Amino acid sequence: MAPVGSSVTGIGHGQPQRTGLEGSDAGPAPHALAGDALPGMDAFEYDDAIVRKFVLATIVWGAVAFLVGLVIAVQLAWPAANLGLEWFSFGRLRPLHTNAAIFAFAGNSIFAAIYYSTQRLCRARMFSDALSRLHFWGWQGVIVSAALTLPMGVTQAKEYAELEWPIDLAIAVVWVGFFGVNFFGTLMRRRERHMYVALWFYIATIVTVAVLHVFNNLWVPLAAVELLNGRVPSGADWLKSWPIYAGVQDAFMQWWYGHNAVAFFLTTPFLGLMYYFLPKAAEKPVYSYRLSIVHFWSLVFIYIWAGPHHLHYTALPAWASTLGMIFSLMLWMPSWGGMINGLLTLRGAWGKVTSDPILKFFVVGVTFYGMSTFEGPVLSIKSVNALTHYTDWTIAHVHGGALGWNGFMTFGMLYWLMPRLFQAPLWSGRLMGLHFWVATLGILLYVGSIYTAGLTQGLMWRAFDQTGALAYPEFIETVTVLIPMYWIRVVGGALYLAGMVMLIVNAAMTYRSRPARYARRVQHALPLSAAYADPPRPRSRLDANIGAARWLDSAVVSGWFHRVWERKPARFTVLTTAAVVVASLFEIVPTFLIRSNVPSIASVQPYTPLELIGRDIYIAEGCYNCHSQMIRPLWADVKRYSEQHSLPGESVYDRPFQWGSRRIGPDLAREGGRQSHDWQVSHLENPRSLVAESIMPSYAHLLEQDLNFDSIKGRVQAMALLGVPYGPAVKGDNAKTMALEQASRLGGELAQQGRHSGLEGKKVIALLAYLQRLGTDVFKPAPEEPAGEAGAPDKGANP
Amino acid sequence: MSTVTGRESGAGAGGPDRAGLRQRAIDDRAGLLESDPLLNHEYDGIREYDNPTPGWWHALFLGSVVFSVCYVLFWHVSVFGWTSEESIAARRVVEYQRIFGALGELSNDEPTLLKLMADQRMMAIAAGSFRGACAACHAADGGGINGVNLTDDHYKNVRAITDIFGVITGGAANGAMPAWRNSFSNNERVLLAAYVASLRGTEPGSPRAAEGEPIQPWPEPPEGGTRAEVGRVEGGGGGGGA
Repeated sequence: MAPVGSSVTGIGHGQPQRTGLEGSDAGPAPHALAGDALPGMDAFEYDDAIVRKFVLATIVWGAVAFLVGLVIAVQLAWPAANLGLEWFSFGRLRPLHTNAAIFAFAGNSIFAAIYYSTQRLCRARMFSDALSRLHFWGWQGVIVSAALTLPMGVTQAKEYAELEWPIDLAIAVVWVGFFGVNFFGTLMRRRERHMYVALWFYIATIVTVAVLHVFNNLWVPLAAVELLNGRVPSGADWLKSWPIYAGVQDAFMQWWYGHNAVAFFLTTPFLGLMYYFLPKAAEKPVYSYRLSIVHFWSLVFIYIWAGPHHLHYTALPAWASTLGMIFSLMLWMPSWGGMINGLLTLRGAWGKVTSDPILKFFVVGVTFYGMSTFEGPVLSIKSVNALTHYTDWTIAHVHGGALGWNGFMTFGMLYWLMPRLFQAPLWSGRLMGLHFWVATLGILLYVGSIYTAGLTQGLMWRAFDQTGALAYPEFIETVTVLIPMYWIRVVGGALYLAGMVMLIVNAAMTYRSRPARYARRVQHALPLSAAYADPPRPRSRLDANIGAARWLDSAVVSGWFHRVWERKPARFTVLTTAAVVVASLFEIVPTFLIRSNVPSIASVQPYTPLELIGRDIYIAEGCYNCHSQMIRPLWADVKRYSEQHSLPGESVYDRPFQWGSRRIGPDLAREGGRQSHDWQVSHLENPRSLVAESIMPSYAHLLEQDLNFDSIKGRVQAMALLGVPYGPAVKGDNAKTMALEQASRLGGELAQQGRHSGLEGKKVIALLAYLQRLGTDVFKPAPEEPAGEAGAPDKGANP
Repeated sequence: MSTVTGRESGAGAGGPDRAGLRQRAIDDRAGLLESDPLLNHEYDGIREYDNPTPGWWHALFLGSVVFSVCYVLFWHVSVFGWTSEESIAARRVVEYQRIFGALGELSNDEPTLLKLMADQRMMAIAAGSFRGACAACHAADGGGINGVNLTDDHYKNVRAITDIFGVITGGAANGAMPAWRNSFSNNERVLLAAYVASLRGTEPGSPRAAEGEPIQPWPEPPEGGTRAEVGRVEGGGGGGGA
């Protein structure tokens, strides 16, 4: 066998004079090697303590995210694992899993990568140690508050943007005020004239995530409405808010955000990570500088358009859906530019890949990136999406990306960093190698089973028998067949988590053998001189007599212009921001301005006060995690759910929209009136009493907990503030009176239908009111008088 | 752009080891690195080649742009495209014709219901609708869960065979039985009514106790015809491929 990869031991790479522990193991550089102090040089040290902190957080939150993922995977295969606890149910824990994986695990990972590499690429310590600490502790505070609020049902119900408004504010402060200022301050103080490609990706990340976060999280907090009206909110009402967008617009903004969270939180920073750590670990030059320029700019400009592919065949206007699809297709090559640059950098290092698990992690990570970014464009094709959307295929796709790309790039980086940060050889190279194989097997079991599940269910939903009827008309038939696949996923997830445990052991043991005091490594570098003169534009190689062509050749094709930009961080940032914002506005402005996108439907009226608070319960329970509310204009959807597919005008009062992204259970867009009150309540209390093989958690607590009728008034007023025509319902105590009236009527009807009585004052009655209203308005006649009576209790809801 | 050419790292100072030799062999066979132009950038030891972007990369990128333009022109500009709404409307006509073609608009009368009950194919079609909409409460075999047992001789809201249609259309028991007028067309509801009538007298797996009043048997089928044997779902045409 070849010797274990040299980076395992953290000692040089065939060149004994290099220790690998140096802050800067410079190659044959025009610059002075670290440690050589020359006249005029600054002396400084890199802040590795902050990197150690982020590394620790990555490891801890990674384990938590994987563990919660394992729990919810078990819950889907075996519903008893919901334990009958309201805060432990799938709908509450699934957002905790996604947020932990994205913002806690991947988030801390990119912070570790950025804090380590930026200092070295800039030859400067971070701008402010205080900001570094505020960033670290602020971010951990955000994560802890997410972990506390999400299981309590405090959620905005928009995927990956579930966190409520006070946490959103904290994220904005930490991201922009601490992280952003610290990063750009470091760029300004850099001692390296040009910015390396990794830094470009970090810039795009910081700017775009800030823009996405702010504009998808514009809300009206219930507490503000209550305080404005001289009332003090009670308990969880402090945290409740609604987006200023509704229905189609809210859906558009959410997936503009959601897709680009994947782009600018899980892709661009990881490409930056790759561009730094992969050539470091491989000790090879990056394959192509030109490719990095072209794929960076095309990626940044094109990615931002692709969001609407999450909403194919929904009530989103067709032009937006088309833009989402074609920009996803055009995104294929820009994405693969990163993969090519990663994999071809390993030319000449493949021998090392066979012996060095760090490079193995990177190779598999980059390969998964390539597969995911090929699969993404394929899934964005409308006719493919018609089959795969709402199925587990999407889940398999994101896990290929998250476990393969984000996870493996992180693991490779962590193993490369450990000996350098802890200044001790890695405890066990063999354990690291075992981690690689166990985790790879885990991913393969995960995606293999879940692709199968997605394809199976998608095909079953659209299967017809020879009479033209649905071959599997009962939704549950298409669920029970998936259970064996769900168990295989559990095994795959457990293996991936087991790999993480190996990493924890390795990290802990390496940490134990750290020196009593970390050696301090003083760096020396010349400050940037203000007298720097830009090199002149090179002569064109063209003989053609056209001036424009010669200019293009000398300024653009030669790469000269980009070298100029690389010297100017402010200009680079402005250009990146412009690329992202201009592309966004092309889609956002028409979405908000074209009235014909959302033709209004006269019979669609605002929710009654009771239905409104019922809707908030639906949101708090996380029902949207398993139930869509969107019947697509596809024959299979129409045959299964309703003759009338969902229309844009139906969700104009939906804040937030609840179209969903996965049908673990059936679509609920036309659930109103489809089942009796008694069925709905019995089903919520114990789903398996009516559908023996149901995997839905029990919501018995809703039959026991009292509904807070006093908080209805503020909710109605908040909606009125957002322009919902509530008319007299907002005046005095009308909202509460109307809610009590409807609750008592519904409770009476419920008692007549079966064994449930005395539930008028319970939460379940509000949820029942909402469910029985869903999708019924389009079938009603248009109201006689205009909006004035809109908020009146709906007497026609239950014919 | 100024470049320097060559491999950036040679064999280790202690002479080439086995891995180094093997790697060198791979490099030489690829014939790439020696000649690749290396840029004189250097960032913390990381260097970059000045390799051109691959030709196939350009071709696919440009190809995706051209395809996108054509796609937009076809679907959003030309007269050849169609919308998914148009597509399901057309499918609806075809499927409706396929199922009810010769029968035309059905009316809820005794001869029609008895005729449908005798039609094996129509009962198989109805079985699918029944499983999708009714089985949640009445069970797939009609034995009842929290909805009444449809297989026995006791009925709460039905006195004659023609009463079933009204219950399906408008619901019953204060909404315990939902109204289905918005979910199914008239023909589908007549067909479902016939199917429900056909369930009477079948043997469900776990029947719910009888509710309501016993009523007269259904009228005899005309011209000595027999009832289709579709009491159970499996007996229908379900389960076939797409």
